[in-house]
Amino acid sequence: MGAIRKKRFLRTLRTALDRSVRPAPAFESLFPDKREAARAALLTSGRERSPGQRQQLLELLMARADPLNIQVQALPDRAAVTAAIVSLVQTSSTEWGSDKAVAAWSHTLLAALGLDAALSAIGVPLTVVAHNDRHWTRQRVIQSDVGITSADYCVADTATLVMKTRPGEARSVSLVPSIHVAVIGLDQIILDLEELYARLQDDLLKGGEGLGRCTTFISGPSKTADIELNMVHGAHGPRALHIFVITGDGT
Amino acid sequence: MPPIQRENYRAAARAALRDATLQRALADVQGRLGPGTAAAYRDLKEGPALRRQAHDLRMRAVENLDILLERLADRIEARGGHVHFAATAADAVAYALKVVRQHDVRRVVKGKSMVTEEIGLNAALEAEGLTVTETDLGEYIVQLAGEHPSHIIAPAIHKTRAQVGRLFAEKLGMAYTDDPAKLTWAARAALRQHFLNADLGVSGCNLACAETGHITTVSNEGNIRMATTLPRVHLAFMGMERVAARLEDHDILLRLLARGAAAQRMAGYVSYIGGPAAGDQADGPEAFHLVILDNGRSRILADARFREMLCCIRCAACLNVCPVYGKIGGHAYGATYSGPVGAVVTPLLSGVHRFADLYHGETLCGACKEACPVDIDLPRMLLELRAIQVAGDAAWEGRGASARERLFYGAGAFMTCHPALYRTAMGLASRARKVWSLNGALRRRTPVLAGWTRTRELPPVAATSFRKRWQKDPEDKSPRFGAPGGKR
Ligand code: SF4
Repeated sequence: MGAIRKKRFLRTLRTALDRSVRPAPAFESLFPDKREAARAALLTSGRERSPGQRQQLLELLMARADPLNIQVQALPDRAAVTAAIVSLVQTSSTEWGSDKAVAAWSHTLLAALGLDAALSAIGVPLTVVAHNDRHWTRQRVIQSDVGITSADYCVADTATLVMKTRPGEARSVSLVPSIHVAVIGLDQIILDLEELYARLQDDLLKGGEGLGRCTTFISGPSKTADIELNMVHGAHGPRALHIFVITGDGT
Repeated sequence: MPPIQRENYRAAARAALRDATLQRALADVQGRLGPGTAAAYRDLKEGPALRRQAHDLRMRAVENLDILLERLADRIEARGGHVHFAATAADAVAYALKVVRQHDVRRVVKGKSMVTEEIGLNAALEAEGLTVTETDLGEYIVQLAGEHPSHIIAPAIHKTRAQVGRLFAEKLGMAYTDDPAKLTWAARAALRQHFLNADLGVSGCNLACAETGHITTVSNEGNIRMATTLPRVHLAFMGMERVAARLEDHDILLRLLARGAAAQRMAGYVSYIGGPAAGDQADGPEAFHLVILDNGRSRILADARFREMLCCIRCAACLNVCPVYGKIGGHAYGATYSGPVGAVVTPLLSGVHRFADLYHGETLCGACKEACPVDIDLPRMLLELRAIQVAGDAAWEGRGASARERLFYGAGAFMTCHPALYRTAMGLASRARKVWSLNGALRRRTPVLAGWTRTRELPPVAATSFRKRWQKDPEDKSPRFGAPGGKR
């Protein structure tokens, strides 16, 4: 049924397009890769950034994040990140439940932060995503006030976090809790969307993981201007977004 | 709610003009977003010329739609997603009903999607006994009020904060407030429960990528992410033209979409979805269905004059600069798509003759083309539609002009081609003009011209014809006819 319908649908398009050539040309020949050289140049310049250039990207990110209501903090090491998270959890108020709770991805960078101990010291439970128990993960994420993730990249020019979906890296952690915290290393900051797409395309062509089932770009906390064009943060997703950048060597 | 298809353009436009609140709201949205978008284009590193490049990209994709859609579908199916090719709105709705039965769905949350408005999905799902909740704040307001969206990206722009306050007080049982933040957070709390309880999330697609096999959803609120992450089933609808070829094309398209839609550098949330969640992923829907909709688009594709319209990415930039939309608002257009894009797309999708008022109502000022992120020549197509309506065109059920109109213009053409006859007629007209200009009532009610003269002054015929003046003094520079430099 479906196959016949699809055939008929596509045949209508071929007639509309007046396609007489058969078989139809292949995707690759119709849309050849014309950006190979430009992409290679972008990738090289991205790889060879000096510490000074990385610092400049961080500053660009901060400048672009500010009007978008994204809080960016540059922190020297992991211990500083852990302390910043603890202080954020302490000062934030709960929105949905009465008891504070935190959810985090199961991710190597986050695992090294020692969040479990630091948070239990202030009496706040931490849920680390367990991909083999969807139901449990869902319940715990829904009860959490703060969701902690990392990201694949952070685009300075648009203040965009880029996240692919991997087993321990649940989509809901950056979405359902009231506050989203993303922890990244300085070298994950890239210049702009052109560089981002060059990297994604390169990964794709090299047979990497590609965009998978779901890849998400986040450029700010949830916002709306649907009532008389007044900007309000916290429409559905997180009402606040923090990006913590580890500027040291990650130890 | 049935799909909106009303043809009372004139009455609706007149009512809109009398509505002072609506006039303020429209001026506000245009005053902020129109210039904002123009400034955002200037801020592109490639400059506004990038719009042309985007146009070419989109056109090339549209010209190879068969190949791109097949590839998109193959990739999604390889990941365990289902793709349904729907030739008509009825076909798309029937598939949606099949999906809800198959997955035993009771509650549905929806992200903003113009295509589901186009096919009348909500009414069909509600008739099936399902609860359907719109989750975009503007759409939610409009749904609670029992109305239709009046702007592609700001659906409730016609409502004031006080109206929303009263609506929420009545429907959500909260204390009255007109504070936009408090109202937004009240909707946030109410909708959160809907997200958590829903079995099915319905979304549209802003773009798709054939190379990788993904649909792309864009929002600022995060509601589309919620609707496509939390329920166990995701059903997406896509107008067939939205697919782009290469992943890298999205760099240009997303930057332009964000600028055209909201004068932003980048939308708040962009998601690529390529199928249901994998078995080893901790969340995300277990089933994914994509409906690719034709519903009249292939007819547009087949006509070289209108094919360009399929480049449209429904950003609403043209609404935000259109002087006609800016006065009559979205509802007057009587269909899902309003503004300049609606004035071209609605007649093409739903009837060139039936929706003739729409393309006659636009001014051809060209502002829409300037604002369009993919540089679509809307004014050209408005003219093409007018030509079809006058000349008749079997492919578009254009009936041609009325006999009276044909006679009128035919006589004009004949006269212009026969100078002696023309001179005589003009001489007569010039003499008749005295009676005419003295008698205002006659002027307004001359039967053949009443449609024109009811709201406009028919200028009196000049005492001395242009031909006479020209013969007497070719150098005559008097500004009588609004000659260049003269007063108009
Ligand atoms: S015609 Fe152009 S400006 Fe109007 S909605 Fe479509 S893409 Fe946007």
